[in-house]
Amino acid sequence: MMQSSPLNFRRAVIWIGRLLLAGIFIYAGYAKLTMGLHPRPAIGVALSFFALQVDSYQILPTWAVKVVANLLPFIEIGLGLLLLIGWKLRIWATLITIVMLGFFFAVVRSYAMGLQINCGCFATPEPLTIKTVLRDGALAALAVLMTIFAFQEAAKPHPWTARQNSRSA
Amino acid sequence: MPASEGGRYNGKKDHGQPGKTAFRVECVILGRFIQEDRVNRRRLIVSLFVLLASLELAVLTGSVSAGMPGQAPGVSDVDAYCAFGSKTAPLRMEVYSDFQCPACKQLFKTTNQPLMDNYVNTGKVYLIHRDFPLPMHAYSRVAASYARAAAHIGKFEVVEQALFQNQEKWEANGDVKGTVTAALSPAEMKKVQALVDGKTLEPLIDKDKQAGQLVPVNQTPTTVFHYKGQTYPYAGVMSYDILKQFLDQLLSQK
Repeated sequence: MMQSSPLNFRRAVIWIGRLLLAGIFIYAGYAKLTMGLHPRPAIGVALSFFALQVDSYQILPTWAVKVVANLLPFIEIGLGLLLLIGWKLRIWATLITIVMLGFFFAVVRSYAMGLQINCGCFATPEPLTIKTVLRDGALAALAVLMTIFAFQEAAKPHPWTARQNSRSA
Repeated sequence: MPASEGGRYNGKKDHGQPGKTAFRVECVILGRFIQEDRVNRRRLIVSLFVLLASLELAVLTGSVSAGMPGQAPGVSDVDAYCAFGSKTAPLRMEVYSDFQCPACKQLFKTTNQPLMDNYVNTGKVYLIHRDFPLPMHAYSRVAASYARAAAHIGKFEVVEQALFQNQEKWEANGDVKGTVTAALSPAEMKKVQALVDGKTLEPLIDKDKQAGQLVPVNQTPTTVFHYKGQTYPYAGVMSYDILKQFLDQLLSQK
């Protein structure tokens, strides 16, 4: 009986993943744009400060650092909102997973190299430690699981919530 | 038609048990929200407003722990011998550094000279060197003592360059004194040695460390930018191009 209920494990993971990852992405993007300062600095200041943090990872060339720093906060907010809304979930879940895996790679690489840097994840100056690596790893795993389940869900929707046109006569 | 065979729940079945029906309706609502392309837009818009308000609150609350205005030391705490540029420059930049730290060496090599040429010597930036010798480095305190002594005879830049350029050498053999001696004339070295032996400048290094703990500095190098009452702490190495972009953005703020 529980298998036929919409409240199964697969749906719970999608639900939790959507809420958690969307919240974190929106918060992270917003924090990067405001830097947690009052009064708020100009957006150019916030983005160029974030560019310093992207640069500290020593992965990208200067031009790419500027591109990433100028786009990432907006991408985070956009993806977070789209994930929260749930429209075309599979697309945004996949993109969020790619972004999360990218973050995880950057964090693991920097930790392994022993770089003494700040994470740059949110507005606060947070040193990159094993805690950061584990947190990003857990979120990346959640994103992967959510995406897989979203595809499974779309392939075999629950009968109660299936599309109108899927109704058999 | 059984639900498990692909039919759609129409809310008209199982009406025999009201409690069970209510539960099922709730399940359907939740299920529809989870299902893609089925979104209650009105509820969503309200949720977004609540979310934005929460974000604003969360970000502003977060700033309290971020080492923001009022926590960092002022210009009066600065050892003028280790500071460069005009005290009245609009932007103050404090670099917490450890002479034995490889990242500090990298930061010095990549940014120091162009920063001095384009911002410090042009009166835009007041650059302050702050000693933050880490306990994990055996000779960084000794190096800081020699650099501070050299600063007090007007030779900080020469000794700083010598210490960073020969970091691997003195890190391996502990011969900080030899590195400094090679960079100074015998007369200058004599004065520096006297200051180091007298230990009169040690409290200034301790003062820098205490100032760093207020920021708080967790790693070296940490650069703290002060502009119009705002403080921007940054840990790590940076390339000059990116630093320049940030400084220009700050200085262009009205």
